[in-house]
Amino acid sequence: MALVDRYLHAVKFWLPRHQKDDIIAELSEDLRSQIEDQEAELGHKLTDAEVEPILKRCGSPMAVAERYLPQRSLIGPALFPIYSVVIRSLIFYFLLPWLLLWMGITIFSPDFRADHPGAALFASLEPWWLACTYSLFFNTLAFAVLDRTQARSRLVNDWNPRALPAELDHNRIPRGGTIFELTFSVATLVLWVQLGAFRSVFHFFGLTITLSSRWPYFFWGLTVLSLAGIALACMNLSNPRWTRLSASLRLGIDCYSWGLVYWLCRANLLQSLSGSDVPSTEAAAFVNSINFWMRTSAIWVLVIGAIVLALDVRRILRIAPVA
Amino acid sequence: MSPSIDAHNRNDDRFENLRQELRRGSLPLAVLAALRTEHYGYTLRKTLADHGMAIDEGTLYPLLRRLEAQGLLASQWREEDKRNKRFYRLSPDGKLILKQLLIEWKSIHTSLEDIF
Repeated sequence: MALVDRYLHAVKFWLPRHQKDDIIAELSEDLRSQIEDQEAELGHKLTDAEVEPILKRCGSPMAVAERYLPQRSLIGPALFPIYSVVIRSLIFYFLLPWLLLWMGITIFSPDFRADHPGAALFASLEPWWLACTYSLFFNTLAFAVLDRTQARSRLVNDWNPRALPAELDHNRIPRGGTIFELTFSVATLVLWVQLGAFRSVFHFFGLTITLSSRWPYFFWGLTVLSLAGIALACMNLSNPRWTRLSASLRLGIDCYSWGLVYWLCRANLLQSLSGSDVPSTEAAAFVNSINFWMRTSAIWVLVIGAIVLALDVRRILRIAPVA
Repeated sequence: MSPSIDAHNRNDDRFENLRQELRRGSLPLAVLAALRTEHYGYTLRKTLADHGMAIDEGTLYPLLRRLEAQGLLASQWREEDKRNKRFYRLSPDGKLILKQLLIEWKSIHTSLEDIF
């Protein structure tokens, strides 16, 4: 019977204090009755090997004890779907992009790797780990508290079908956005031409800014981009719904614009800066730091551009094919 | 494992899950009905098993406690065959609820017969 006593002792450990003895006495009686019945059938005292299957069938001590406990959950089934949406959004729209950004910078930026040699590279991920821990912990804690307060019944039970949000139409193009894009593109184009931005030398407040000979490429690039933006905005105004054509044009224009900005960052366009009050050494240092800062920013442009293009591709995939 | 055996095992699992779910819902009714006569845990289990409603100890004893906490059962510890045993029987409330549950069960049975 030592095996049965050990088993009962293990079950007892997990039981609620005020019920321990009562439950164990009853369970013990049942097990001993089973053993006695089997002994009577076999005509001898059961060995440990024969008692073992009886205990195994009864279940693991923790599982047996768990059935005596009230059903408990940190976040109940009423709030769990909302909790799940919040956690998934947190992971897919915040933590995962951050991690991908870190990976992108690590892979494509030699400067970043040089600044964080060896283990310091992984140490640079520490803010991400902290964000993971804190955001997951505090969200779980908030929902657990919510589940135990009156707020849960207000959230789950007090609802009105009229107050539910309208179904989101992913293919609708908001007119406000289109008008903004049209205005912005026209204003850029007008300002661009007015400034005479195709020149490479500019004079502002006694300063002379000289850009590299590659500047006109950017000038024409931005002009073409503005014209394309105007054309797409007009198209979207006449038909404020995404079609395969308009969504593909959006993808093409975004691809072109982010590529152009990436090129701008990498092209060392600022050649020199001069002015009567500016010492030449300081001016040269300023030019170098501006060009360095732009080169460093190129990776961010690449990452953000990739996210924008991914969203554009998703928009195209969401458009149902015409039957 | 061949695809047909795999599919057969999957069907077995699904059937077993649904069968257990169905029986789990009927257990309180079976226990209440069996306790119209006084029993202690082990003999109750044997009685239920004899009637084709086998139930393991890990399920029965927590269920007995829940039913008792709801006032449907009454219990007392008594010595029998030189061992202390806890005897259960239906309480007056339990008798009333059992009557209502039996009517409900028969109604479900009739409805299902109609659907089939």
